[in-house]
Amino acid sequence: MIALVPADHFLIMTIYALLVSGFFALLWREGKRERWKLFGILLASLVLGGLAVAWLMYPFPR
Amino acid sequence: MTGRHPIAAVVLAWIFPGLGHWYLGRRRLAVAFAAIVTAMFVLGLSFHGRLWLPVAGQPMSYVWSFADFGAGALQLAGRALVDRPEGDLLAVTHEYGTVYLATAGLMNLLLMLEVWDIATGRKSKEKEPA
Repeated sequence: MIALVPADHFLIMTIYALLVSGFFALLWREGKRERWKLFGILLASLVLGGLAVAWLMYPFPR
Repeated sequence: MTGRHPIAAVVLAWIFPGLGHWYLGRRRLAVAFAAIVTAMFVLGLSFHGRLWLPVAGQPMSYVWSFADFGAGALQLAGRALVDRPEGDLLAVTHEYGTVYLATAGLMNLLLMLEVWDIATGRKSKEKEPA
């Protein structure tokens, strides 16, 4: 299988967050405005949460 | 009730992501769900993730296998098309890929539950324009 995306940790995490946010926005909300709102909240939570966890783990590499 | 058979909707949803929604007339949602879940699955394969099978003595392998089998025909096709369904342990993206693949399966399981709720009238969704 060819590599479709460069092996970049942040990029892979962000693509994951985009797909999961889009999925749940469509699944849980009705109406364009409500869906975009949930999409933004989920995307920001996943990306910023991931960065926060990475920052907290930084002093403990192993 | 939608006039469509709930079990048929669930089986179609398992066979391919979005097919259950298509069967119930939610065509735009069906296309969107198919695109998202298929993208998640194909990216998982491209990251050399593992498509799990149950392994005796490894309880977590049953959990991963359950998640992977949720992807229906996608995971069957994935097993047939890739050289190594167990993935490449040495690839730097192996664990990401495994999570992508399991997430695609779990997403499809949620879609199966949703089409059941729509078909049985437990969840009413907005009508899409024809």
